[in-house]
Amino acid sequence: MVPLNWYIALSAAVFCIGVAGVLSRRNIIIIFLSIELILNSVNILLVAYSHFLNSMRGQVFVFFIMAVAAAEAAIGLAIIIALYRNKETVLTDEINLMKW
Amino acid sequence: MGIRQGILLALVFVPVLAAIPVLLVPSGRAARLIALIITAFELALSLVPFAVFMQPRPDGWLVRLDLSWIPAFGINFSLGLDGISLLMAALTAFLFMLSVLVSWDAIRDKSPMFHFMLLVMETCVMGVFLSTDLFLFYLFWEVMLVPMFFLIGVWGHGRKVYSAVKFFVYTFTGSLFMLLAIIGLYVIHGSQAGEYTFALEALKSTHVEPATGLWLFAAFFIGFAVKVPVFPIHSWLPDAHTDAPTAGSVILAGLLLKTGAYGLIRFGFPLFPEASAAYIPVILAVGIIGVYYAAWIAYAQEDMKRLVAYSSISHLGFVVLGIAAWNEVSLAGSVLQMVNHGITTGALFIMVGMLDERMHTRDISAFGGLWSKAPGLSAFFLLFIVSSLGLPGLNNFAGELLILVGLFKEYPYLAAAAFAGVVFTLIYLLRLAQKVLFGPPATDAEFHDLSPREAAILVPLAILVVVIGLYPRILIGPIEGPIKALVSPVAAVKTAGATPQAATAPAQTAAADRGGTP
Amino acid sequence: MPSFSMDNMVSILPEMIVLSLALAVLMFDLALPKDEKRYLAYFSVAGLAIAGYQTMNLAGLQLDTFYGMFVLDGYAIFFKVLFYIAAAIAILISIGYVKGQEMDKGEYYALILFATAGMMVMASGADLISIYLGLELMALSVYILAGFMRGSMKSNEAALKYFLLGAFSSGILLYGIAIIYGVTGTTNLAGIAAFIQSGQYSGPALTLAMILLVAGFGFKVAAVPFHMWVPDVYEGAPTSVTAFMSVGPKAAGFAAFLRVFTTALPGIQPDWTVIIASLAIMSMLIGNVVAISQTNIKRMLAYSSIAHAGYAMVGFVSGGMQGVSSVMMYLFIYMFMNLGAFGMVVMLRKDGVAGEELKDFAGLAKKNRTAALLMMVFMFSLAGIPPTAGFMGKFYVFMAAIDAGFTWLAIIGVMMSAVSAYFYLRVIMYMYMKEPEGEFELAAPLSLKLAMAVAVLGVLYIGMAPAGLIDFARISIAGMM
Repeated sequence: MVPLNWYIALSAAVFCIGVAGVLSRRNIIIIFLSIELILNSVNILLVAYSHFLNSMRGQVFVFFIMAVAAAEAAIGLAIIIALYRNKETVLTDEINLMKW
Repeated sequence: MGIRQGILLALVFVPVLAAIPVLLVPSGRAARLIALIITAFELALSLVPFAVFMQPRPDGWLVRLDLSWIPAFGINFSLGLDGISLLMAALTAFLFMLSVLVSWDAIRDKSPMFHFMLLVMETCVMGVFLSTDLFLFYLFWEVMLVPMFFLIGVWGHGRKVYSAVKFFVYTFTGSLFMLLAIIGLYVIHGSQAGEYTFALEALKSTHVEPATGLWLFAAFFIGFAVKVPVFPIHSWLPDAHTDAPTAGSVILAGLLLKTGAYGLIRFGFPLFPEASAAYIPVILAVGIIGVYYAAWIAYAQEDMKRLVAYSSISHLGFVVLGIAAWNEVSLAGSVLQMVNHGITTGALFIMVGMLDERMHTRDISAFGGLWSKAPGLSAFFLLFIVSSLGLPGLNNFAGELLILVGLFKEYPYLAAAAFAGVVFTLIYLLRLAQKVLFGPPATDAEFHDLSPREAAILVPLAILVVVIGLYPRILIGPIEGPIKALVSPVAAVKTAGATPQAATAPAQTAAADRGGTP
Repeated sequence: MPSFSMDNMVSILPEMIVLSLALAVLMFDLALPKDEKRYLAYFSVAGLAIAGYQTMNLAGLQLDTFYGMFVLDGYAIFFKVLFYIAAAIAILISIGYVKGQEMDKGEYYALILFATAGMMVMASGADLISIYLGLELMALSVYILAGFMRGSMKSNEAALKYFLLGAFSSGILLYGIAIIYGVTGTTNLAGIAAFIQSGQYSGPALTLAMILLVAGFGFKVAAVPFHMWVPDVYEGAPTSVTAFMSVGPKAAGFAAFLRVFTTALPGIQPDWTVIIASLAIMSMLIGNVVAISQTNIKRMLAYSSIAHAGYAMVGFVSGGMQGVSSVMMYLFIYMFMNLGAFGMVVMLRKDGVAGEELKDFAGLAKKNRTAALLMMVFMFSLAGIPPTAGFMGKFYVFMAAIDAGFTWLAIIGVMMSAVSAYFYLRVIMYMYMKEPEGEFELAAPLSLKLAMAVAVLGVLYIGMAPAGLIDFARISIAGMM
C-alpha cells in the first residue's frame, strides 16, 4: 500500500505548482486553472487523510469542495467572459485600469 | 437632584441644546440674537454660585452631580464645582458672551453655523472645567477640537485651512496619548481595587509603580502641554491664533490654553504625586524657556496678532512655573493668572480685531499716532497693554507676584530668572504701544473711534482689569480652600523624598493679601 | 453527539428565512416589470426585518445542532443582527443607485440576500466544513455583485481581481483546514480544541495550518499583507456593492476568524497571538499611511477599511471576554459609519457623473448643508472623535489591549489614529473650506435618506449611549468564553 507521506508529498507538490502558477502566470485562464490545482491538492490530501484516519469526514468535505469548485468555475468563467466582451483580452497585464 | 445640580447641568448643556435651533434659523440676525441671549444666560448662571452657595460640602466640593452613564465601563456622568472650576466657568461664560459680541458685525458669512459652533464650544469648555470623571473630561476635551477646527478653518483668514489642520492634528495627537494614560490608570486601578472606575477621587488613591507612573504622567503631561502650550510643542499656537477670527482667538487664548493648565492642576499633579515630583525639573525648565523664548520671538513680530499670540506662550510659561512650584501661594497665583490672562489677552485680541476691521491690516508699521486720532480706543489699548506687562495695581501684577513669591520659596534662583523674564515682556509690549499709539501717524486714513457696541465690550473688561488688580481677594477667596486640598497630598510626597528642599507651605493668606495691595 | 431533533430546525430558522426570501425575490423578479424592481428591495428589507425579529426571539438559546456542525448561540445571534442591518442599509442605499447605473435587476437583491445567508452560516458554523461552505456562499455572491455593472470595464476588472484572489485565498484556507484535519482527525472546532488540549501532537504542522488559516481569513477581513485586492476592488465595484462588502463580508470574516481561533485553537494561542499582532500592526500602519495619498474617495475608504481591520485585530489579539466583545462592538460600529460614508459617496453626483474623487466634495457644505453634515459625522466617527460611535469602538479596543498587557499595540493604534485624523479631516476640509466647482446633483431618493438617517442615528446613539451595545456584546459571548 502507498504510505500516507507520499500522498502528502504529492498534494504539497500540486499545491506548490498551483501557487506558483497563480503568482507567475499572466493569462487569466491559466491562473484560474492553477487555482483549481490548489483545490485538487486539497482534495488529494483530504481523501488520503480520510482513508488513513478511517474517518468519513474528509471524503464528505471533498464532495463539498468539488461542488463549490464547480460553482466557482461557472462564476469565474462568466466574469472572464464579461471582461472579454469589453476588452478582448485574457492577459492580466492588459487589465490595468486600476493599479494592482 | 436639587437646584444646585440643576445649575451645574444647565451650565454644561444649555449651550449645546440652544445650538440646534441656532443652526436651523435661516437668518444670521436671529442666530446672533439667540447666541447672545444664551451666553448672557450662561454668564448669569455662572455667577449664581458666587452669590448663593459658597459653603463647601465636607468633601470640598460646592456642588456635585453624579449620574450613571456607561456602567459596563464604570463611567459616570460626574460634574463637580469648586472654587477653581467656578472661576474658570465664570471666565468661560464671560468670554463666550464677548465672543458673540465681537463677532456681531465681523461674521456675516454662514452666521448660524458660526454661532452653532460657538455654542457647542461653550458646552465643551464648560464640560472640561466641571468634569470629575476622567472619561467625561476626555470626551469634552476631545470634542472641543471640532468646533475650534471649524472656527479657524471656515471663518479665519490667511492660511486658515493649514492652521486649522495643524491645530487639530497637534492637539489630537497630544490628547490621544492622554487617552492611553487614562486607560492605563483605569486598568491599574481596576486590577488593584477590583472595581473599574474613571472617577477622579477613586483614581487618586491608586498605587502606581514608580516606573509606570513616570510613563503615565508623561503622557498626561504631553496632552496638557500641547494645549498650554509648553515650549517645544507650541508651534501650532501662533498659526492658529493668527488665522483664527477674533472670537476664535479670544476663545483660544482665553480658554483653550487654560484647559491645559487646569488639567495639570486638577488631574496631572494630584493623580501622580510621585511621578510629577520627579518631572518638576523638566516642567520648570520648559516653563522658563517658554517665558524667555516666546518673549524674544514676540519682540520680532510685525503682525500684532502674532505678537499677542507669542505673548500668550510667554505668560503661560509663568503659569506653568507656578504649577510646578506647587505650593499654596504659587498655585493661587497660577489660577489667578489664568483668569487674568484670559481677560487681558482676550481684550488684546479683541482690540487687534478692531484695528484690523478698521485698517484691514495687523502690521505694526501700518499704524502709528493712534492716540491723536482715536483717543478712546487708544486709552483702552494702552490699559490692556500695561495690564499685560504687569503694572502694579492692574490684574496681571497680582497673579505674577504670587507666582514669583511662591516660586521663590522653592527655587529662589529660578524665581530671579523668571523675574527677569518680566522685563523681557516689558520690552516687546512697550514697543507695541509705542509704535501703534504714539509716534507719527503712518497714514492719513480716516479712523473711527469706538462704536457703542465696541465700548460695551471693552468697558467690562477694563473694569475687571482694574478691580482684580486692586482687590484680588475676590478671586483668591473662592480658590483658597480647594488649593489647600490640592497642595497637601502632593506636597507631602515632595517632602518625603523627591525634592528635599521643598517644604510644606503654611497657609498663605497673608501673601495673597500682600499681592493685592502693592 | 446530539441526535437529530427539532432543535436543528429551530437553529437554522433565521438562515431558512433569509434563503427563502432570496428565492422569493428571484421568483417575484419574473413577475415584476422592468422598472418596478425597487419593490423587490422593499420586500427584501421587510423580510430582513422579519428575520431579525425571529432571530431576536431565539436570543438566549444555546443550541448545538447538526451533529456539531452548526450552533446557535449569542455570538452567532449578535453577528446575524449585524448582518441584517448591514444588508438592509446596503439595499436601501442601492435602490436609486442601481437604477442610475442600469443594473436594476432583481438578481441584485437576491445576491445580497444569498451573501447574507452565507455570512450567517459563517457566524454559526462550528465546524470547518460549515464555515467553509458559508464563506463560499458569501464570496461567490459578492464576486458577482462586484461585477454587476456588466458594461463597465472597471467593474469587470474589480470582479476579476476579487474573484481570482478570493478563490486563491480560499484554496489556501482549505489547505490549512486539510492539514488540521490530518493532524487532529476532525474538522469540528470543539474536537480540534480537545485534541490539541490532550497534547498528543506538538509538531510544526499545526502551526503551518494555523498560518494558512490566518492567510485565508486575512484575505476576507482585508488585513495586510493580504490586502492587495482591497483598493482595486473597492474602487472598481459599484459603490453600493462596495458599501455592502466593506462591512458584511469583513464582519463575517471576523466572526469566523474569531470563533475558529478562540474555540478551536486556544491551545496554540501564543503562536497566533504573535502573527495576528503583527498583522494588526501592519494593517494599521499601511492602511493609514497609504490612505493619506489617495485622491479617490473610494480608494481612500478602502485603505481606511484595511486600517480598521487592524484596529479590530488589536482587540482580537487581546483575547478574552474584553477582547472578543470589543471586536464585536467595533465591527457593529464600523458597519454604521462605513455604510454611512459609502452612502454619501453614492448620493453625490457631480456634473452628471458619480462623484468619486475627493475634489468632487469641494464646497458641498455650501450646496447642501445636511449632506455635508452627515458626511462630517461619518468622517469624525471613522477618525474616532467623540461623541461619535467610532470613538467608543476604538476606546473599547484599546482598553481591552491595555488590560491584556498589549500596551505597545495600543500605542501604535493610537499613533495611527492620529495619522488617520489627517485624511478624514481632509474630506471635511474639502466640504467646508473650499469653494464648489461645477454642479452638484444629489441623487437622494427617500430610501437612501432613510438609510443615512439610520446610519447617522446609529453612529450618534452608540457614541453617546454605548451601554446597551456593550452589554449586548458581552452577554452574547457569555456562553462561548
